[in-house]
Amino acid sequence: MAAPPAAKAINTQDITVKARRDLLHLLEAVRGKKNLVIERSLAGTVGLFVKFSELQEYGVDKLFFLENHNVDSSQRNIIFLVRGEAAKKVRTVAEQIRLVRSESKIDHDFTIIWVPRRTLVSNLILEEHGVLGEANITELNLHFVPLEADLLSLGLEDSFSSLCLRKDPTPIFASAQALMRMQKQYGLFPRILGKGDNAKKLADLLQKMRSEEDVNASSDPSNTYLTSFGLTPSSIVENLIIIDREVDFPTTLATQLTYEGLLDEVFTISNNQTEVDTSVLGSAPVPQAQQQPEGRSDSSPAPAGATKRKVQLDSTDKLYPSIRDANFATIGPLLNQTARRLQSDQENIKSRDQSVKDLKLAFAKLPVYQAEQAALKIHTSLAEEVAKFTRSETFRRTLEVEQNLLIGSDPGTLHENIEELIARDTPLKTVLRLLCLESCLSNGIRQRELEHFKRMILQAYGYQHALTLANLEKMGLLVSREAHRGFLNPIAGAAGQTATDWNAVRRSLQLWVDDVQEVDPDDIAYVFSGYAPLSVRLVQCILQKSYLQTLINPPRPGQAAPPPAAAGTAGGWKSFEDTLARIRGATVDVIQKGSDADASNARRTLRGGKEGPKTSIVFFLGGITYAEVAALRLVNRELEKAQGGRTLIVCTTGVISGGRAVDVAVEKRSFGG
Amino acid sequence: MSKPTADWERVGDHFYRKTQIYTSVFDPDLELENYVVTGAPYSGAVALYRGEDKIYAYRSSQAVKPSVDIYSCAGKLIRQIPWDRGTIKAVGWSEDERLLVVTDDGTVRSYADLQGDFTPFTIGHGAEEHGVLSCKFWANGFVALLGNNSLVAVARYDEPRPQLLASAPPGEVVAWTVIPPEQTSSRSVEVLLAIGKTVYVVDAAECEDRGLEAGPFRHISSSPNGKFIALYTDDGKVWVIGSDFQERFSEYESKVKTPPKDLQWCGNNAVVMAWEDEIHLIGSNGAASKFFYESFVHLSPDIDGIRIITGDVCEFLQKVPDPSKDVFRLGSTEPAAVLLDAIDQLEKKSPKADDNIQLIRPNLDEAVDVCVRAAGQEYSIHWQKQLLKAASFGKSVLDLYNSDDFVDMTEALRVLNAVRFYEIGLPLSYEQYIRLTPERLVQRLVNRQEYLLALKISEYLHLPVDKIYVHWARQKVRSSRTDEDSICDEIVRKLKGKRGISFEEVAHAAYDEGRGKLATKLLEFEPRAGKQVPLLLNVGEESIALDKALESGDTDLVFYVLLSLKKKIPLSSFFRTINSRPVATAIVESSAIDQDQELLKDLYYQDDRRLEGSNLLLYEALSAPDIGPATDKLKMAAKLLRDSKEYAPQVAALEDAQKLLRFQEAFEKDLTERFVGLSVNETMSKLIKMGNLKRAAKVQTEFKVVDKTYWWVRLRALVSRRDWRELEELGKGRKSPIGWEPFFNDILGAGNTKLASLFIPKCTTLTVPERIEMWVKCGMVAKAGEEALKAKDRNALEELRAQASAGQQLELDRMIAQLQRGR
Repeated sequence: MAAPPAAKAINTQDITVKARRDLLHLLEAVRGKKNLVIERSLAGTVGLFVKFSELQEYGVDKLFFLENHNVDSSQRNIIFLVRGEAAKKVRTVAEQIRLVRSESKIDHDFTIIWVPRRTLVSNLILEEHGVLGEANITELNLHFVPLEADLLSLGLEDSFSSLCLRKDPTPIFASAQALMRMQKQYGLFPRILGKGDNAKKLADLLQKMRSEEDVNASSDPSNTYLTSFGLTPSSIVENLIIIDREVDFPTTLATQLTYEGLLDEVFTISNNQTEVDTSVLGSAPVPQAQQQPEGRSDSSPAPAGATKRKVQLDSTDKLYPSIRDANFATIGPLLNQTARRLQSDQENIKSRDQSVKDLKLAFAKLPVYQAEQAALKIHTSLAEEVAKFTRSETFRRTLEVEQNLLIGSDPGTLHENIEELIARDTPLKTVLRLLCLESCLSNGIRQRELEHFKRMILQAYGYQHALTLANLEKMGLLVSREAHRGFLNPIAGAAGQTATDWNAVRRSLQLWVDDVQEVDPDDIAYVFSGYAPLSVRLVQCILQKSYLQTLINPPRPGQAAPPPAAAGTAGGWKSFEDTLARIRGATVDVIQKGSDADASNARRTLRGGKEGPKTSIVFFLGGITYAEVAALRLVNRELEKAQGGRTLIVCTTGVISGGRAVDVAVEKRSFGG
Repeated sequence: MSKPTADWERVGDHFYRKTQIYTSVFDPDLELENYVVTGAPYSGAVALYRGEDKIYAYRSSQAVKPSVDIYSCAGKLIRQIPWDRGTIKAVGWSEDERLLVVTDDGTVRSYADLQGDFTPFTIGHGAEEHGVLSCKFWANGFVALLGNNSLVAVARYDEPRPQLLASAPPGEVVAWTVIPPEQTSSRSVEVLLAIGKTVYVVDAAECEDRGLEAGPFRHISSSPNGKFIALYTDDGKVWVIGSDFQERFSEYESKVKTPPKDLQWCGNNAVVMAWEDEIHLIGSNGAASKFFYESFVHLSPDIDGIRIITGDVCEFLQKVPDPSKDVFRLGSTEPAAVLLDAIDQLEKKSPKADDNIQLIRPNLDEAVDVCVRAAGQEYSIHWQKQLLKAASFGKSVLDLYNSDDFVDMTEALRVLNAVRFYEIGLPLSYEQYIRLTPERLVQRLVNRQEYLLALKISEYLHLPVDKIYVHWARQKVRSSRTDEDSICDEIVRKLKGKRGISFEEVAHAAYDEGRGKLATKLLEFEPRAGKQVPLLLNVGEESIALDKALESGDTDLVFYVLLSLKKKIPLSSFFRTINSRPVATAIVESSAIDQDQELLKDLYYQDDRRLEGSNLLLYEALSAPDIGPATDKLKMAAKLLRDSKEYAPQVAALEDAQKLLRFQEAFEKDLTERFVGLSVNETMSKLIKMGNLKRAAKVQTEFKVVDKTYWWVRLRALVSRRDWRELEELGKGRKSPIGWEPFFNDILGAGNTKLASLFIPKCTTLTVPERIEMWVKCGMVAKAGEEALKAKDRNALEELRAQASAGQQLELDRMIAQLQRGR
């Protein structure tokens, strides 16, 4: 029996469609032409589901970025599309409304669309500025946005800094709301598993919201009869696995070695787009590029960086899906293969005895062929640029230090390397990543050595970085070993370890794989050429118990393979409890039952006892790296192979990389203004 | 039992019926002609107020106190709202029976639930100066006409936002009406203004003249579905035209000298004109019928008909619905009529009953359907029963029949009959009931405080009952005069255990009544932590509010509480409050950094968080435009930490930072180059690049820069300056802390192979093949050969030979030979 496609279970496309419809509906509600003012970080997210041309069809005349403070009064209607949670943004909106009102001669109609909800604070601030009555206020319930069919993001760019640096739990609440909506649609997650203190908070919040939902549902005038929505466990979703970013900093800090990961490291990818110098790709856009949403770049003043070109990186590309998750070492051969295949195709077309039918066939294939050709050209240039980076001396040295740290060698031997990197004026972020990685893996650097490094950094990069270092310390990324003992996350509960015993965990979860296969990978360790990310190993603890056990205790030759552990995840964290106890943060394991046992039973009977395709939702609280996404995709493939029909959906607050993680802490200013 | 056709009237091709619903409606002393009467949609309540222009009969005994009175359709006084401010210019209703009273200065009071509580707002846009002339209402909004012909629209009442429409031409507005936004193609409200001889159409964006000639139009009215418009022309004709002003559908000449007092639609097919005690019903194609009354007539249009209210009767005039027509029309041979006759025969025990059934056998199911639907249209219980009996009899004969419609209809009729009862006074027609929905019907009952009936109906129809309880409890809190504990007990006893009860709403009502303690007590039963917060803030329980906000996990709520707290209480106690709550502190910190750093400073000071305080000063130093203030800030930052030994490294760094600034200032003066903003290493590098080696060395010693770093910086700076001489000089030294290989690499990278090669022999720690490689990179194959020869590495020599040029090959051959000889 062919397993029903997993896409049927949770169709992320629906989210795109709904988000689009909702937004356009809101725009339509404002009559006539209008100017749209959008928060910069939101523009990227919105660009994932609406094209600028569509906005124009709905009467949007000009597009402004909120941060640019350049709204003009050319249209009577002005719409703001801004996140309502951030007080700073709300204040900017209020100021701009006041400015336009005082400068413009005509009477304007202001509309504010808060994303994802209208907040009390926003009301308060607008009132303080005396503009609350001026604007028509609505909200756009935008939570998860699919980056890919199997990857949903909340698009909260600052979730990592909120959680780790400012200890502000806003992203947890936003995640809880988003997951709650998912539960409303698909039913309760029958089991919630997770690791980390924030994961625990999120799980608690989800349960609390569930109990409050009863009251909310009935006091909400718009749904008087749907009150019994999600009181039964879902038949589609099997469990929710929450991984708190704080549990696994090293994976974030390590250099990603997949193609997509490296593109992110070198060019940074945001909302499936990256900007590359035209010197790399050539400025003349190939025909293909015009079909791509050529940026919903500001139609207002000409795009600032005319020398940059936007490249769309998602599954609409002909080539990208097949190479994005490959280890970069294998990219060259992969691209070669494609080039050869295309060439032979071309020769076929040319040489074959051309009957009309053949011609027709060839002609039909032509657009696909051209698209592939263009994609190949782009990716070859990108890969060359990345290779330039990976061949550099600094990269080689950095990677050497990094891999040694991840293997678990004595960090003392590597200090000289790091010192040299500092003396040679290697970018600050690279150095900080290495130091943080060391600190995280060995639970702090010795006080004396740490002070030495700090002094070197201050001298090399400037004394303003005393703030950078303080920030890193606050985040728990760069601490002294002595302080680490007393290190307590101020918002962490008392429960759970505060430090991870990396040496023990490395052994018990096989975090280092010596003979890693980069071509045709069989283990997730390929994404870092040896290091298997802890976060994904944790997911495997739940979903691939038998695989992990054979990996840890390889069966001796001749001995029969151990009977596969009971398929499914009935066990939760079972048989890995000891390891989990050695990892910092609370462990979550909650079983959610329907409040009405009869209804759940009835539902089960209706399903006829057949187990449909089961989906596991993996939620990364605080961000996920592309390397981890690649690793999870590998896990997903293995799962589909082993237990047909099971799938993973990866959700996250945002996409992060080591560079961005460290950048949060870095002080950008220097002395003298 | 009178025939149902008794009050039918034929107008043109259609029948209309006038159903008398209630009699002796109003107090005979009430002079209805002196009042303005407005009925809520869906047979809702009726609001009366005394019009300004009406004459007051002088009665010494009765002081005239202005008020707005709300009656049920049956004339039961629901509430009297005493009026004390301004002249009422318009009274209107929304679809959810919200009463709106507009005064001449543009103030609007919105009474949500037929009680005395209202929320006020003003329409602005010059209403104070020009005054409001009149208003036209639709299901959930209204438009006000101001004295200067401005039009202001309000499209929602939960958050009213008066919007000025396009400006209309000057001139007296003789009559006007609105077409609701749902019914226009532009989805925004359209206003039709009769000015002069023509009609203008105004919406949010533009004003358009429709170019009519037959004005001035005394009356203008749009049909319930917004498709037609009725106009009363200057020469006493009634026109019915399409709302797009393209086609005229009918014309009627009233032949009455005085223009009518009112002109309204009756459903979508007929227009009603009213004079003081006479009404004309005009159907399609100008057919008309007249009705006469003994007293003054008021019209209240509804979606499917029109209510006629006089002092002593309340009637409903509507087109006879099709099923009723089929069943009851005299001489009807429709199957349904035959079926109804069959039930008569059955009651008479006549065999004709069966004959009838056999006659309509092929269409029996249709007959049953029609009877069921006709039952819904009847107000008389007798005929409802009769029709349902007929339907029941018919369906018993049928083999297969889906009884859902039948069951639904009986349920609906039970509800309708219950609410039509004169004490309740909601004479809903079946169609109105369907459009209103049972939920909103229950809400109307609740607003009338008919809790028992509301509960019974909800239970009967399986609707949620929580809101009824909550409303009851709120009313209890408002009206009960007993002590707070017993009120609370009674409410909790009744409401506990009921699903989905919002105690917060009840508590809110208590708070609004000024019963703060009761409010707090009731709030404890609210299951949603977040909902408790705003009220707790209001009653002054700030720290509980903060805890509840934290419990809810909603940071917006926490932030909101914090902002209100900060305004309310002194700073020191504010800090004390947040001190024990880390999340609150984190939120204060993260928000204060962008807007209120002084607050942050105070916070750190109070908590004795010196390092943070010092960092904040450093943060400020960075924003300082000049070195002077920056140094001052740095000094202060260092001073904060000096007392404590654990911060020694930080203090040292801060002092170094000041020192560096001093140095840089001096360099800038001496060398007229920009130095401020550079780091120690960058400063050294720049000095070297400028050839100031001595100053660079001074910086190194002053800041105790480690040798290795200094060497690296110097090497890179010299290479970038292409200072080969100095590099060569350096190479003469015996030892380098960074080894000589970097020298080779960097100089080679800069393209000076000759100088680079000088460093190869110094790289003694490297292996032979590495050194050979280095020679080759410099293009000195011969030297590489010598290296290989020294190491007696024949293979290496062979390899070198393979890549060498012809001249070099000879040399290499010689070496290979030498090596062989030597063996």
